[in-house]
Amino acid sequence: METLRLILSPDFLLRNSVYTSVLVGFSCPLVGVFLVMRRLVFMGVALPQISSTGVAIALSVPLWLGVKLSGHPSESAHMLAFIGSMTFSLAAILALAFMERRGRGQPEGRLGTAYVVAASLSILMLSKNPYGELGWLDMLKGEVITISDFDLVLTAAALALVLATLGLFHKELLLVSFDRPMAITLGKNVVFWDVLLYLLIGLTVSMAVLSVGPLIAFGFLLIPALTAHLFARNMRQFTILASLCGGAMAFIGFWVAYQVDLPVGPTDVVLLGVLHAAAWVIAKLLPGGSK
Amino acid sequence: MNDDLITLDNLSIGYNGQPVLSGISLSIARDRFTAILGANGSGKSTLLKTLLGLIPPVAGTIDTSASTGVPLVFGYVPQAVQFDPIYLLTGFDVALMGTYGRVRPGCFVPSVERAFTRECLRAAGAEELAHKRFAELSGGQKQRVLIARALATRPDVLVLDEPTAGVDAEATHSVLEFISRTRKERQITVLLVTHDFAAIRHHAQQVLWLHQGKVLQGAPDELLTSERMVEIFEIGIG
Repeated sequence: METLRLILSPDFLLRNSVYTSVLVGFSCPLVGVFLVMRRLVFMGVALPQISSTGVAIALSVPLWLGVKLSGHPSESAHMLAFIGSMTFSLAAILALAFMERRGRGQPEGRLGTAYVVAASLSILMLSKNPYGELGWLDMLKGEVITISDFDLVLTAAALALVLATLGLFHKELLLVSFDRPMAITLGKNVVFWDVLLYLLIGLTVSMAVLSVGPLIAFGFLLIPALTAHLFARNMRQFTILASLCGGAMAFIGFWVAYQVDLPVGPTDVVLLGVLHAAAWVIAKLLPGGSK
Repeated sequence: MNDDLITLDNLSIGYNGQPVLSGISLSIARDRFTAILGANGSGKSTLLKTLLGLIPPVAGTIDTSASTGVPLVFGYVPQAVQFDPIYLLTGFDVALMGTYGRVRPGCFVPSVERAFTRECLRAAGAEELAHKRFAELSGGQKQRVLIARALATRPDVLVLDEPTAGVDAEATHSVLEFISRTRKERQITVLLVTHDFAAIRHHAQQVLWLHQGKVLQGAPDELLTSERMVEIFEIGIG
């Protein structure tokens, strides 16, 4: 309990890391719900990895151009990483969605290829980059430690935008996801709503990757949504339960990791996995629990 | 007033520029029950999707002469089997989607539209399905909810794609009776795709029969006689 009191203290040294973890934990499942419903789980794997490749390439650009950044991951470096992450996320999600719509080739093959190439490329990029050795590789592995006030504000602002947009346009996004032909007959611009959803997914994934790394971002996108689906009875419950599950496990994960001296991100994901397994067993034991 | 609601002029339909049916010129009468018949692969669903604007015509034109000058509202009832059960939607949630065409993006669905949705569910005999999970309903129950959703659009044309597929004979009769009654009460045009000749012959007032790349148009008494059917199937459309 002493550790818990310490973590909750406003003077806690790593308080920004706690806040960021919890913010990511709350917000990733909100878009993860749409990835699960649209059967785009593989995209949830590939996208964070592609986003992290964008970070790696963006951080390599100054090196290639011979421009020096400060040795520490500064605000300018973070902004550069954010731009790289967003650009790659959005380009990838739009390209993959376009190919999905055309319905040619194997979607799993495309996503699998994108994932392994992106993962390898980001490691290659950062291994040749001095900034990579100063913490970015750790970040991409899920070490949520050095989060500045600027990083926290940027993350909070981006995720607030995602939350507000999802709340405002939930019925349109749900209609286009559930019954696209119906949306067209009602005069809805389905391409616009698809692009908006992909923008929200891209923005959330980019922020999550910058804060907690690709593996953990995928964990928070997928596992809370799958866990919530076991118990939720309607879409509102599904969304709220997934978000609460993600936020709560992000906090508990940080607490456990700090207590036992483990890396935060992997601890979060393992805890999410344990929670999902327990939830699955409980759902099976409940009357009518065959979902 | 012109009795034709939809006129197809030399229309070619298909996918990716490849026509499935060509040279379709016909009219669909206002406030009538029109059945589109044909075997699997004859192009029924392609014709329906083209009329709904889901796929563009390969060639030709579709004229929808709405009396008010505003675009026709189609109340579309797709096949119930196409919906992914992962969505945690109740019967009411699905029916409510019919009102979304009148609610601006970013606005909540007003209580008057919610009340109208409940009225549509009641009219479709699906009131007791409002709070049940849509994915857990039977085929016939899903059809009723989807018809309620189509009615909630306040349609000019009710468009149904194989509404009796996977539904038993009793439910089929009940669904078709309901559609006929609704057409009369609300004075809307009904366009129904099916391959079930027998079920439809007592309800449809106009038949479009798609066979071997051709479209026959006529009254059921004229087209669905045993002599005419033998002639069509054995000799082909002449």
